Amino acid sequence: MTSWNNLAPYMRRYTVRVLLFMASYMLILTSSLTFARGSTEHSQATLIGLALISALPIIGVFWAIFRLLVEIDDEYQRLLFAKQTLLATALTLVTVTVWQFLAVYDVVASGPEWMGAIWFAMLGVAGPFARWKA
Amino acid sequence: MKNRLKVLRAECDWSQQHLADALGVSRQSVNAIETGKYDPSLPLAFRISDLFALPIEAIFLRN
Repeated sequence: MTSWNNLAPYMRRYTVRVLLFMASYMLILTSSLTFARGSTEHSQATLIGLALISALPIIGVFWAIFRLLVEIDDEYQRLLFAKQTLLATALTLVTVTVWQFLAVYDVVASGPEWMGAIWFAMLGVAGPFARWKA
Repeated sequence: MKNRLKVLRAECDWSQQHLADALGVSRQSVNAIETGKYDPSLPLAFRISDLFALPIEAIFLRN
């Protein structure tokens, strides 16, 4: 098991950033949804603002991931992580393409949603494949 | 590309981790270079060359 002290500095920065963004996400999402679904009616501008605020921490996680690609000072690890992100992107595109056509042929009610969440899941799936025999 | 990194490391009685620390890379990276899975960039090749005090062509061999 890798301990915190054994982590490379770039991985420590990445971990802290992701944890901060995810904690912000939970806080912002719960408070925004509570506010939006309260008894009072909200203007379109307010709802757009809430949507943008809720999206910000997720955008932050994307930033942290791509910042990691820049900050990895071990070129082989950077290659592996670049492979992982490219594979995650390919798997996401495959998933949403199939999903889209399932919607076109009325197999499912709606087209692709939560593509960011799909990409994060695919990043996890792609990790072992990118590092297979590495 | 073939290389003599494993032999040179053994001659110095260094572990992969020791070499990795000296080069500022991970042990996994050293292993990938030694086994020919990964060819290092020119800057890293020069760092390896400096560490063993050998020219690059004495470490990395033409196929």
